[in-house]
Amino acid sequence: MKDQHITEVLDNAALATLSPSELDEIRAHARDCEPCSNAFAAAQLSTLVIKERTQAVVEPSPFFQTRVMAALREQQAVESEPAMWRLWKSARGLVSSMALTTAALAVLSFMVSAPAPAASDQTVSALSAESVILGQDADDLTYEQVMNAIYEDDEDK
Amino acid sequence: MEGWLTRITTNTCLNILRGSKRRSELTISDLSEDEDKWLEEQLSDPEQQSVENSVVAADLADRLLSVLSPEDQQALLMIDGEQASVKEVAEATGWSESKVKVRAFRARKKVREAMERLLGSKKLSAKEKPATSESR
Repeated sequence: MKDQHITEVLDNAALATLSPSELDEIRAHARDCEPCSNAFAAAQLSTLVIKERTQAVVEPSPFFQTRVMAALREQQAVESEPAMWRLWKSARGLVSSMALTTAALAVLSFMVSAPAPAASDQTVSALSAESVILGQDADDLTYEQVMNAIYEDDEDK
Repeated sequence: MEGWLTRITTNTCLNILRGSKRRSELTISDLSEDEDKWLEEQLSDPEQQSVENSVVAADLADRLLSVLSPEDQQALLMIDGEQASVKEVAEATGWSESKVKVRAFRARKKVREAMERLLGSKKLSAKEKPATSESR
């Protein structure tokens, strides 16, 4: 510690909790290092005034008791509500935003997938009546597609 | 029951502190005459470290604490002032132990730096005083 600055040691723990050997090391370093000496003096004085602050008897404001009692009643009211209702109250914002997102995604996916049937029509028209009758690619076609392909072919003729 | 009451009272205190004015920085001109004198006495005899006028010291602590957030004030007062353990503070406030440690570290550092600045200004003005009296 002698070669290292001690400011971090001073900030890490209350001075009162440091062991005598740690304090001796701090003092030894502070003797040769002016910035650390200032920091140590400031830490000692800060500890002193904070101790005085906690020992001073403070008369609470007349409204303090009223505020604590109000907070108590509020807490009791919250705790007397059913657990599911409390859960819903805390989660309803999240649930409604999730529902909105899901609805928006559903609308979007419906709008994006709408042109898909046009592509399948093109595929069907590319098929000949013969290939349909001979059963080529029959597994991939619906009944409507088969019928469309047959009638379109007849009309062409 | 006791822990529940402590937490409610602690939160009420924090709410009151949140309403009070917070300083960004503390300078020597913010101190009262008594506080200034007290600081000068401490500087003249740093080894003495006694508190003859505890009211003045407590007021000075209030000024130092005003640079901190209410939560940091709470952590510092409980750990350094009341010698509470990190666990006790965590139970009273509902914070995690690591959060208490971080708050106490940050608060200690800020208060020490504020005090260091005050002491530095006092030392500087003490050096200037004899110089001005000599020039007269």
